Amino acid sequence: MRTGLARVSFALARRAARNTLRRPQFLAPLVLFPSLFLAVNVGGLHRTTALPGFPHVHGFLDFQLAGALTQSLLLGGIAQGLAAALEIEGGFFDRLAAAPIPRVAIVLGRLGAVALVALGQVLYFLALGLIFGAHIAGGFAGALVTIGLAVVAGVAFGALGITLALRARSASTLQGIFPLIFVILFLSSAFFPRSLLEAPVDTIAQYNPLSYIANGMRTPIVDAVRATPVLEGLAAAAGLAVFAIALAVVALRGRLREG
Amino acid sequence: MSERLRTIRALTRRALNEILRVPTGALPGVLAPTLFMLGLSAVFGRASHLPGFAHVDNFRTFIVPVGLLQGAGFTGAATGVNLARDIEGGWFDRLLVAPISRPTLLTGIVASASLRALLPATFLLVVAFALGVHWPGVGGLLIAYVLVMALAAAMACFAVAVALRFRTQQAAPLMQMGNFILTLFTTSYAPRALLAGWLQVISDINPVTHVLAGARQGFLGAVTWGATWPALASVGGLLVVFGGFALRGMQRVGVSE
Amino acid sequence: MAAIETEGLQRSFGSRGRKLLAVDGIDLRVEPGEVYGFLGPNGAGKTTTVRMLVTLLRPTGGRATVAGFDVAHQSGEVRRRIGVALQEAALDLLMTGRELMELQATLHGIAPRQVRGRAAQLIERVGLEQAQDRRVSTYSGGMRRRLDLAMALIHEPEVLFLDEPTTGLDPVSRVTLWDEVRRLKDEGTTVFLTTQYLEEADQLADRVGIISGGRIVAEGTPAVLKAEVGVPHLDITLAAGSGDLETARRVLEPFGTDRPPAGGCHLSVFLERGAAQIAEVVRALDEAGFLVESLELIEPTLDDVFIAKTGRHLEGAEGVTAPALVP
Repeated sequence: MRTGLARVSFALARRAARNTLRRPQFLAPLVLFPSLFLAVNVGGLHRTTALPGFPHVHGFLDFQLAGALTQSLLLGGIAQGLAAALEIEGGFFDRLAAAPIPRVAIVLGRLGAVALVALGQVLYFLALGLIFGAHIAGGFAGALVTIGLAVVAGVAFGALGITLALRARSASTLQGIFPLIFVILFLSSAFFPRSLLEAPVDTIAQYNPLSYIANGMRTPIVDAVRATPVLEGLAAAAGLAVFAIALAVVALRGRLREG
Repeated sequence: MSERLRTIRALTRRALNEILRVPTGALPGVLAPTLFMLGLSAVFGRASHLPGFAHVDNFRTFIVPVGLLQGAGFTGAATGVNLARDIEGGWFDRLLVAPISRPTLLTGIVASASLRALLPATFLLVVAFALGVHWPGVGGLLIAYVLVMALAAAMACFAVAVALRFRTQQAAPLMQMGNFILTLFTTSYAPRALLAGWLQVISDINPVTHVLAGARQGFLGAVTWGATWPALASVGGLLVVFGGFALRGMQRVGVSE
Repeated sequence: MAAIETEGLQRSFGSRGRKLLAVDGIDLRVEPGEVYGFLGPNGAGKTTTVRMLVTLLRPTGGRATVAGFDVAHQSGEVRRRIGVALQEAALDLLMTGRELMELQATLHGIAPRQVRGRAAQLIERVGLEQAQDRRVSTYSGGMRRRLDLAMALIHEPEVLFLDEPTTGLDPVSRVTLWDEVRRLKDEGTTVFLTTQYLEEADQLADRVGIISGGRIVAEGTPAVLKAEVGVPHLDITLAAGSGDLETARRVLEPFGTDRPPAGGCHLSVFLERGAAQIAEVVRALDEAGFLVESLELIEPTLDDVFIAKTGRHLEGAEGVTAPALVP
């Protein structure tokens, strides 16, 4: 019999998490860049809350937190993909593939680590926001909702990163993906209310799952735990997660078939 | 003297070669400032409706100069990353044992950054003008280009100093963050009056604020000497300071390893 | 039941018009407890064959069984019974030796209570106790190979696959690894070993399969294979200016076939009737006016077997002591 799925996934998750923490120089950019961007956005544009059509918020920082968080989670997903690509290039992936384990555990293990890192990221940004004067309007329950949604979204992005790693020829292809993150985020309402976006971006944002994910994380902070945006966010994140994990498993099979 | 110039030219040509041989590698650097500008103006464009933005009708026009400087900084940072890669790969050792003086070597590396910075800047301007951004006049354009090249050189010196200090490509985020902070913690998104208090303080201290003002003047109105000389002085100062660090790093290679 | 058995095993790469046949119909059979040496130059198809046998690559033709299970359809069962140490030590540089061994133990289903002990046991066996709590990135090449081998052995596999295990190792590490292979054989493990070093195959293998261009060109025990080529060869160095090489070659023709390659003042000839002919050779050359500077008699090697079958030297062949035979 093959070694149990749960046992192997946990062992691989523990390894992936340990390795991530052993490389702080890779972790730092995941939160530092979005933090700097957050600072510039808030410092430069905090007056925009006065624009007609801007939803009522305690402060521009409160509004921006979810955007910075989404950005950070996306970067984390691609970074995990990069780690997977390096593992394939380095040969350790072969060892895992030759072991008597359910091969899907290779993906699940990494996703476990991603979930842990995502938890760290959301706690960081919530703390950062509170330190600099933001309020979490939804209270403790609101914070929990945001945290839960962030972890699901993080797992979805991680699965996408792993899929890219399995299909790309080399790790440097993945490094080229990082700039694209800005592009996808700008095509959403992660940083600014959708009604105030310039055309045609406002239409594109309507179909971008990132808009709903960011909004789902944002509403408990700026308003309260309202069913519609939170559920929409959860649907987007969970749907993306399921889709991405399926893609990853298919990519894994393809990679193993072609050796 | 001409021997030195020839060396510089050869080194510059090698750096340019990289772009020609691996265009997909260079593409992100050329496209990034334009994409950033497009994205920012699409997302935050309404900000120009705020009172205080009054003399600018267009957010995009306001931030195009930021994109120019970003392209310059990004090119400079990339120069440092390439150097770090060459150090890791051993090619840099080969350059060091060649009979080239260290200052000449540095000039060669940095000069290529200046020239390469013209690519993202020009691409950005072509796209911007196509989208209706205000034409800055020949004078304004010229000043902008000069500042771009000078800033690229200065940022390249910074990145080279970092590369020589850490000798690994993993220092790349450090180089890029330095660039990010310098170019964006200025009057990048909004005029000074609209900035939050703390950002006003930082942008007052940041020399790149003056460089930005100098590059921006043609786009917003008339070109004046009063707005030009602080820009030139600031970028000159950055070049001297970072150049000093880079040169010292070069001289000390192999001394304390 | 054979430990390893293949029938027409084939692997092609590429699509439509540009197919590369890396492995072109391999038939082999390895009995339990045997050490089988797969010998061939770079690019011959050794690694591709191994990857198919350890279920990392799907065959595009033919079939193969390992430990009685089909590699394509019962790969899970195969993986339970094999140990794998591939060409590049497949390690995670961020982990310590001990962490890696314990992970490997867990992956192979060793009971949680026994994981620690088993890992420690193997670390000791390969002599890495001092380094076990340091990150693998700090290990030397030889240490990494040893750890790689320990990881391949943690679950006491029936069949062990070693892909070029000593390539790039210093001589001391190489000998240590050879001893380990002999010990494994004594313990009853089947070992499938690929190598480009003929001395390694000669020393370790019960039987050798010589592969070139994706096919097995010769197979048998080293002694039998060498006996097939049969005769020793004589490497001759003529004094400079003795005369021209072509004439010398013709003088030597009656003794045996010419052995490639010759050049400068060097030539080489197989001696059909063995060492007894040396005196005659010297006399013949002397009578023809050639001055012999040095002579060396070399018994047949696996390289000779390779030359006999393919007309070329084995790349990276060791034990070829004749000077400057390659111009």
